[in-house]
Amino acid sequence: MMTIEVTRPERTTTAGRWYLERAGLDALVAALREDGRTVIGPTVADGAVVLAEIHSSAEMPHAVGDVQGPGRYRLTKRDDARVFGYVVGPTSWKRWVFPPDVELSTGRRTGHRVEFAPTASHPTKLAFVGVRACELAAFGVQDRVLDAGPFRDADYAARRESAFVVAVQCTTAELTCFCTSMGTGPEVEHGFDIALTELDEGFLLDVGSPAGQELVDGKLASALRPATPVEVYTAAADVAATRARIGDPLPTAGLHDRLLAQLDNPRWAQVAERCITCGNCTLACPTCFCTSVIQKTDMEGIAATNERAWDSCFSPGFARVAGGSFRSRPRDRYRQWLTHKFGTWWDQFGTTGCVGCGRCITWCPVGIDVREELMAIAPPVALSPEPIRVEPVAASFNDFVVAQVVATRQETADTVTLTLAGADPAFSKGNLGQFAMVAIPGFPPLPISISRFTVDGIELTIRGAGPATKAMTALKVGDQLGLRGPLGNNWPIERAVGRDLVIVSGGIGLAPLRPVIHALAADRRRFGDVRLYYGARTPADILYREEMERWASRGGIEVHLTVDRAGPEWEGRVGVVTQLFDQATWEGANAIAFVCGPERMMQATANTLAGRGVTPTRIFVTLERHMECGIGLCGHCQMGKYFVCRDGPVFSLLQLGDTFGREGI
Amino acid sequence: MAAMAHPTEHGHGGHAHSNEHGHAARGGTPRPRVAVVKFASCDGCQLTILDLEDLLLELSEHFEIVDFPEASSARSNGPYDVLFVEGSVSTPDHLRRIGELRKQARVLVTIGACATSGGIQALRNWADHDAYRAAVYPTPEFVESLARATPIAEHVPVDFELRGCPISPDQLVELLTALVTGRRPQLRDEAVCMECKRRGVVCVMSAQGIACLGQVTQTGCGAICPRMGRGCYGCFGPREQANAAGLARYLQASGERSAEEVGQLFAGFTAYSEPFRSTITDLGGTRGARRTGGAGHVAGGAYPPPGGAATGRASYLPGRPRMEGIDDDGR
Repeated sequence: MMTIEVTRPERTTTAGRWYLERAGLDALVAALREDGRTVIGPTVADGAVVLAEIHSSAEMPHAVGDVQGPGRYRLTKRDDARVFGYVVGPTSWKRWVFPPDVELSTGRRTGHRVEFAPTASHPTKLAFVGVRACELAAFGVQDRVLDAGPFRDADYAARRESAFVVAVQCTTAELTCFCTSMGTGPEVEHGFDIALTELDEGFLLDVGSPAGQELVDGKLASALRPATPVEVYTAAADVAATRARIGDPLPTAGLHDRLLAQLDNPRWAQVAERCITCGNCTLACPTCFCTSVIQKTDMEGIAATNERAWDSCFSPGFARVAGGSFRSRPRDRYRQWLTHKFGTWWDQFGTTGCVGCGRCITWCPVGIDVREELMAIAPPVALSPEPIRVEPVAASFNDFVVAQVVATRQETADTVTLTLAGADPAFSKGNLGQFAMVAIPGFPPLPISISRFTVDGIELTIRGAGPATKAMTALKVGDQLGLRGPLGNNWPIERAVGRDLVIVSGGIGLAPLRPVIHALAADRRRFGDVRLYYGARTPADILYREEMERWASRGGIEVHLTVDRAGPEWEGRVGVVTQLFDQATWEGANAIAFVCGPERMMQATANTLAGRGVTPTRIFVTLERHMECGIGLCGHCQMGKYFVCRDGPVFSLLQLGDTFGREGI
Repeated sequence: MAAMAHPTEHGHGGHAHSNEHGHAARGGTPRPRVAVVKFASCDGCQLTILDLEDLLLELSEHFEIVDFPEASSARSNGPYDVLFVEGSVSTPDHLRRIGELRKQARVLVTIGACATSGGIQALRNWADHDAYRAAVYPTPEFVESLARATPIAEHVPVDFELRGCPISPDQLVELLTALVTGRRPQLRDEAVCMECKRRGVVCVMSAQGIACLGQVTQTGCGAICPRMGRGCYGCFGPREQANAAGLARYLQASGERSAEEVGQLFAGFTAYSEPFRSTITDLGGTRGARRTGGAGHVAGGAYPPPGGAATGRASYLPGRPRMEGIDDDGR
């Protein structure tokens, strides 16, 4: 008799993973309280999600979200009923494991005798509900600092030991989040008793410790059922989406060495002009551990108590001795904080001091972003933007795919936008700023910027300047043309995340920037202030006029227009585009700029931007050159060491160096 | 009693004052003579002393309160071991008296925003004094006042400052306890923000966009305004190295506030303390000054006013910041 071995499907994906209905959260809080624990969890107070003692899940946020940016925090209303639909708030768990004020000891001085008595610590049993990955990492950092020897903070250790940790996977992210860069999240991986991932109606529940298992098998058992594969998959996908959403806002490779090599950087003094040295960042930080001890006495001078309070290296007196302070200037104190947090912390404790939670950014009252300062003071070694290339179709010199005109729109007297469909799907997946080689038999193929990406195609905005472009602008719905691409690199929009963005454009130069504006508007919260400065020859030459009104009214984009000349009906500005912002009040230290227009206009723009503090590393231009192949083989578009078609068309000014704007290159 | 035990080392009149009016408490140790005097002020800081209630009894075991206008009509002449001065120098009479009082006081402590900073009345320093006086009083010629209201420290050396409008009772007790036990008073030199963060107060500036001076203001109030959901208006005055200009720039850039509005935020009880003073001037002066056609700025050269002693703190406490006190010997 033959036996057939059957390979059983792996069950590990759902084994030990549970589903808890949203209403079941209360059973979790109740079970922890029945265990004699003080349960700390999120609740809404004073316009923020704070951490405080909670007695039931009813006290937790429901349908509450948040929007965070440098120096800014606002609650929002969510469309769903999520309990954890926000990221970290002003409070950190440090408050309970390392309290802001504690009595350390008492002393007495009677005659010649002195006595000292340590104040006993009797921390209550704690439970933390809603600990995020970055905050678990913060516990890890504090453990290294306070509990890894050779000397230990026993009070901290006792509090940490007692705490039952209910972690929560982040399924949302804010502009201030950078756990991905610090390697601390968003995935919760260890250091918890129970981990929850919030789904539409409930939670996926994972067990992380024997104590967690005991709860799942005991008091919580009746509220749980095994999770389905769909729930497991959805939870994982939501966390993965969070990671993608955060991106990598702070390139940390070599940061320790980069930073410590910059002790004399002039930027320390510049940031100290903005920094108020109030210390908010350090007290909001979940890992900052500096304290001061204050002595209090009775009037007889006999009994004294020593009280420890959170302190900050930003306070002028923190490094003071009888002769003065070792860090007397604000710049010294800012440097101390940043170099410690991101540099020397590694040397002292073998770990980063920063977990990427973003609190120091949100709760800086004047909106200083440490990431911005770090990038300015200790920039990554390679500054050139990394183009993300989409595999083009019809990449060879002589091959075209065919697309069909499905709509045309007369933008101005000589400019038409063609909506194309039926082309290879690669085109609609192209990157912002890429172009296509466009051909009609009998005419030379021309590089045309893609001015919009649609679900099944692209749009091209073409000004009829010569025979080939005039033939293109004359195309009607149903006509076909040939395409190669998408080609070239892209605007580094990922570098604009969390920053202000300045878009400066002239004439047809708005076409390659239009997809950037669409992308910004679709994900507006990830960016700071966005300003578009656009110049056209006359009011009739303004491109995308109706669309531009929507960008301004609904897209959260400041739109400023100017024209070279105009009749009396024009009430707007007349003059060159740089005049639109050479008197503006915004500061460019946090800004990134995308510029497209005639080369002389771009050069003037770059100069004006530089005067506002936008450095050449943050100014990007797209160049126009004669191109025939679009793939770096025909030699037409060479500019210095670059082929504009293959290495560009988007370049940072740093890349171009002194070739930019130079005559005859 | 260490700090109080050697009155002669300060060289003003030996020990004649030590127990003349007092009586021996606690085994015959003479109690230091404490007095409170007032200049231009609302008496609110004196009321804070009275509000100590039960603690006053304990204090009276350690101090002999010889002059306290808000509490008793009894008057006493110096010298004093500890002299609390409330109010700003605002009239020619104040100018004459402060120098004499300094000579009578071993330890001179200014209390409240008026004494430490000039007070709300110092807003006239940006304005045309005569126009103000004529606008307020029916017969201005009877009103003897100086063109400018100034803090005590502009005229005489000051040993300790208690800030606030009014002062904090906790800081007052701490200062007295430190004086009586001979240690350094633990008056924190840090931003109000630190108190907010320790107490878990959600920052009103980040979370609500409310302009708040807490970052540049000396702590001591217990962050009472942010706790109530409003911005700090700086009644404890600028803290050490307060970056008022940086905050002013941010408030203008971030909140669509005009220079005038931002200047007005600083133009409160402690407007005349640097760097609030120059920040207000840089932003165009005070609102009242603009209305009455005042100069809109404070001419630095106008100080010290004629007749003022104007020693400046620097010569008395070389290189030491405020709140550090007189115990330079390291006690």
